[in-house]
Amino acid sequence: MGALQSLPGQPQYADLAEKTGFSYDQIGVLHKRFNQLSHNEETLRRDHFNDIPDLACNPIRSQIIEAFFDRRNFRQNGEGTVDEIGFEQFLVVMSHFKPPSLHITDDQREKIRKEKLRFIFNMHDTDNDGTITLEEYRHVVEELLSLSETLEKNTAKSIADAAMLEVASISMGHMEPDEFYEGITFEHFLKVSTQKTTLKYYIE
Amino acid sequence: MEEFWEGALWALKIWLSMIISLIMIPAMFGFSLGISETYMNILVKTLEWATLKIQKANTDERTLKASASNGLIQREDGSMEKELEELRRSRPKPPVGGDFTLSDCFYFTRRGIESIVEDEVTQRFSSEELVSWNLLTRTNNDFQYISLRLTLVYGIGIFVRYCILAPLRMKFWLSEWVHVMCYRICARGLSATIHYHNRENKPQKGGICVANHTSPIDIVILCNDGCYAMVGQIHGGLMGVVQRAMVRSCPHVWFERAEMKDRHLVTKRLKDHVNDKTKLPILIFPEGTCVNNTSVMMFKKGSFEIGATIYPVAIKYDPQFGDAFWNSSKYSMINYLLRMMTSWALVCNVWYLPAMHQKEGEDAVQFANRVKSAIAHQGGLVDLQWDGGLKRAKVKESFKEQQQKQYSNMVVGDDSSGNSD
Repeated sequence: MGALQSLPGQPQYADLAEKTGFSYDQIGVLHKRFNQLSHNEETLRRDHFNDIPDLACNPIRSQIIEAFFDRRNFRQNGEGTVDEIGFEQFLVVMSHFKPPSLHITDDQREKIRKEKLRFIFNMHDTDNDGTITLEEYRHVVEELLSLSETLEKNTAKSIADAAMLEVASISMGHMEPDEFYEGITFEHFLKVSTQKTTLKYYIE
Repeated sequence: MEEFWEGALWALKIWLSMIISLIMIPAMFGFSLGISETYMNILVKTLEWATLKIQKANTDERTLKASASNGLIQREDGSMEKELEELRRSRPKPPVGGDFTLSDCFYFTRRGIESIVEDEVTQRFSSEELVSWNLLTRTNNDFQYISLRLTLVYGIGIFVRYCILAPLRMKFWLSEWVHVMCYRICARGLSATIHYHNRENKPQKGGICVANHTSPIDIVILCNDGCYAMVGQIHGGLMGVVQRAMVRSCPHVWFERAEMKDRHLVTKRLKDHVNDKTKLPILIFPEGTCVNNTSVMMFKKGSFEIGATIYPVAIKYDPQFGDAFWNSSKYSMINYLLRMMTSWALVCNVWYLPAMHQKEGEDAVQFANRVKSAIAHQGGLVDLQWDGGLKRAKVKESFKEQQQKQYSNMVVGDDSSGNSD
């Protein structure tokens, strides 16, 4: 108590700033937040996220929390999940939501956009097989909508089916009657999200 | 050597008698020699000077961030409907099915990440980040070496606080005399300057006094100005000793924490106390826990169900002089007392608001909210819907479902045509 703190250690942040693109100030703030959430421990676990009241109100909180522990989001081409993360991984996952800086080329912008969409895709592809199947999609719809009396299970199901159909029609064109639509792959997902205005709000 | 000790002893005696005459006697009789006031003036001037120095030294670093993560979250401040509207604008409406698309998740994901970076509730339970620095290291997280003079003042300040002020105050902490005098001495001991406003609204016998809660010192502050009966849970440790001492001078209503769960028992005991018109007004803090004095949390409805007259009181501490907030899950009582005694002073404002009664057709929750708004408005605090118990427990299920309901209304509600079976 009462220790005279100097400015945050610059060298250790330089590495992280390089990797994630956050400024030193932002990293400092996020580090404070990390410590607050993890009660000053070294690693963050799932139950630490459950302490956030605002997050508890969010319908897709479990997917958001899972996203933090999903190796695919650590930018190291890993797979599977982990049980606890350190500050570096926390920062890497957060960096997906950083708005792109203004002076970048179109190529870079495209790359960043793809990364962000990949993040969302991973969030819904819970079994890690590269496609969002009908089951997974239904699961998302149910999470988002309330299980109250205004909505029966069937309504949720039919909404999911209809949306799935729409994606199929956009990406596959005309389908034969007995063709079965496996699931939304990442390419289809990209195609569906090509509307620039849809993503403008999210990405910038 | 001997002479040195004699001299020291003699100096000590003089010092003690000076203290007694200058502090205890005026405190006992309730008048002031004006020393406190001059002390406060000097303090204010010193702090202003120190703040200016710091601000001059780093003009761009000291950007006044009300929210720590200002640079991280770009708030659009739209409601759920507005933002989802925008997300969907480009897409043509689908021929079948509800108005739903996977991209709706974007909105919720973004909100989720925002709340991970910063949320309203947790903010309220950590000490307020002060804009100016009050020469206490506790409230300044980025201490920097500004100038020799400032450091010198800071050094003198430490000396003054730890060697002179603290011993003075420790003497008075355990005095146990007539109720009001006892508290008055404590208040003087803490260099507390309290401004009471609207004294004509002071709580009367047979009523319930309701106030917002920041620290156990609230009790000292209120009791300086009148006698109250307390309701609360029995603490162990030092607090327990103080509590037992207080019980001897006035009839109070103490509960075990387990008893508090039995709401009927609590209500009955309170009712009995209130109906007896000779008994002192009961002092209750309906937030249920200490909050850091920037906002008022949800009031628990128990005290509002009794049907007695409610006298609301708003207490607001001036954060310039010392942070009075007690984070009981972080600091123990002794630690907190030590911090209180070594801060500069305690300045607070107490407003007595006009009495309120439960209106016809108003239930306890609405009444509680009405009183809470009045207190928050008067004290300049933020009126929050959140439960103070969130400091320790989790959100109730009903709040979680609210977002889901709102969203499902949007999706299902405007799906009038083509809803397949």
